[in-house]
Amino acid sequence: MRLEAFAEVLGLGLKNLMRNKLRTFLTMLGMIFGVGSVIAMLSVGAGARREILARIQELGINNIIVHSVKPPEETKPGTQEQNRWMAKYGLRFADRELLEATCPAVERVLPVNQVKQPVWRGSRRSNAAVLGVLPEHLPMFHLEVARGRVFNQLDADECKQVCVVRRGLIDDLQLLEDPIGAAIHIGPQSYEIIGVLADAQFRAHTREALAIDEHALDVYIPYTTSMRNFGTFTYIQRAGVQEISSVELDEMIVVVKQTSLVRSASRMIETVLERSHKKKDYEVVVPLLQLQQQEQIQSVFNAVMIVIAAISLLVGGIGIANIMLATITERTREIGVRRALGARRRDILTQFLTETAAIGVVGGLIGCLFGLVAVRVVVAYTGWQALTEPHYVIVALSISCLVAIVAGIYPARRASLMDPIGALRYQ
Amino acid sequence: MELRGVGKVYGTAEAALRVLRSVDLAIGAGEFVGIVGASGSGKTTLMNIMGCLDRPTDGHYVLDGEDVSRLDDDRLSRVRNRSIGFVFQSFQLISQLSVLENVEVPLYYSQSPRTRRRARAEELLASVGLSHRLRHHPAQLSGGECQRVAVARALANEPALILADEPTGNLDTQSGEDVMQLFFELHRAGRTVVIVTHNPEIAARLPRVVEMRDGAIVRDTQRAAAPVALGAEGG
Repeated sequence: MRLEAFAEVLGLGLKNLMRNKLRTFLTMLGMIFGVGSVIAMLSVGAGARREILARIQELGINNIIVHSVKPPEETKPGTQEQNRWMAKYGLRFADRELLEATCPAVERVLPVNQVKQPVWRGSRRSNAAVLGVLPEHLPMFHLEVARGRVFNQLDADECKQVCVVRRGLIDDLQLLEDPIGAAIHIGPQSYEIIGVLADAQFRAHTREALAIDEHALDVYIPYTTSMRNFGTFTYIQRAGVQEISSVELDEMIVVVKQTSLVRSASRMIETVLERSHKKKDYEVVVPLLQLQQQEQIQSVFNAVMIVIAAISLLVGGIGIANIMLATITERTREIGVRRALGARRRDILTQFLTETAAIGVVGGLIGCLFGLVAVRVVVAYTGWQALTEPHYVIVALSISCLVAIVAGIYPARRASLMDPIGALRYQ
Repeated sequence: MELRGVGKVYGTAEAALRVLRSVDLAIGAGEFVGIVGASGSGKTTLMNIMGCLDRPTDGHYVLDGEDVSRLDDDRLSRVRNRSIGFVFQSFQLISQLSVLENVEVPLYYSQSPRTRRRARAEELLASVGLSHRLRHHPAQLSGGECQRVAVARALANEPALILADEPTGNLDTQSGEDVMQLFFELHRAGRTVVIVTHNPEIAARLPRVVEMRDGAIVRDTQRAAAPVALGAEGG
């Protein structure tokens, strides 16, 4: 019975709103923008959180990654003479030992050897990156196998010619048979596939869409095997120029004991490396700092959106209050008649509050659509990720409903307190 | 229904406007009473008090055995809804609602269920001869038809008292006569009807006429040919 009565009041409210469509729509505009920004804010926020999570998964929040970088070519004739046949630069084995020994915050340092050799099988060739890593590297980066197994200490000790690959590589090499146990070539040597990694759980949408997931083709082999078979030399022939370079350590992954120590550890690493390297032939990447930067950009966006949402909702609320005041003036006689026929103050109050709530709900719904469009536009222009979950719509609708009702309280109260005799006489 | 020493003062003590001075008036069940008087004589205020739209500043108003002069707003709304039917000079139909919905309004506030409401409204409109106009809106109706809708609405909750304020004031002679016939029928059916009117011709046809001047009753004429009124006053 009460529900039925409410449905009826709501129906009446909607009917009244339909009578003046343009006015109702203009009144709703504030709501629409407000709710739209709320949806956009929540979606983009969630997308960003997801991307941050993905980055953490990918790089590890407690890690500091140090790459070898080829220093800029020096133009001094003397040095050029010296380095003609071989460029020797980058991180050295000694750096790893030094860091492990001098930084108390460092738990350990994992070496990574990048093997710059083509991966092929039969007539198919892939641009996969080959990484020589320690057995503990894979679990640390949450790289879990979907099939087969990862290599262990024994494989490493015996320098086994085994590898763990990503799903993408199997497609790329058009491997039709069971990949486990199949052989692929890395440069001149043959390797047995012992494991296929599960697809990354958090894969960036945009990268996925463009099929450029940077790790989609990675091949992992034991570090010891890669050092024995390929060593530290890289031979590159490009455009008729031969280049041989020698890099002892392509990459070091410094594992810090605690997240809170990452910042100070990174400063210490910089200092230590600065002393032992004459040239800046390395680069320190701190995922944590990158994430913090990204979060900062995100929080600026969020702050802007919150302000837009708040202003829109405020203006929308004022608009609703304004239009409702005009409405009750227009309908003074109706209010008088209803009172004369037995409406209590409460009934009049309910009637007008329901009407404003209807504005809130309808405006909120349109606002949700607007928000979803806005999210797409933001994603298209910024390349950010967005994630719209169904409950955002409920949150946004509740906010718009609440604002509308709050805005309607004063006009509805004024309507309910009208003197019936005066209202009946109102011209 | 009985008014005892009812007075109404508007404004503050310094600028008081005494509209009613100690009015005593008893109207029995089934009576048909006309209230006449010049404008400013207080008859509209008396109507408002009788209709529970206004409260007297002095005295008591007993309706159906209950003193309603001191009830709070919600209780007065309930009394208006259940015990009083209003017919206004300017019809006071809600223009956004259809004829049927207008008649349903008092039933809505007495919380009768939707289907019953609809059936009752249709029945009432049939009784005033407007079954063919249910879905029309007031603006599409003639003045006489509007006033008949208003009478149907006034009867919705079977009120004890029907109050009509110049019900024929905005109508041409023929529609006015039709509406008056409706009131006579109601009277014959045993309802209590009170009409405020300027029109001496109408007043001349009523069984009892109360004349007001300067906020007081100056004459209360009973005609012998008012069998229902006399019979009901005893009981």
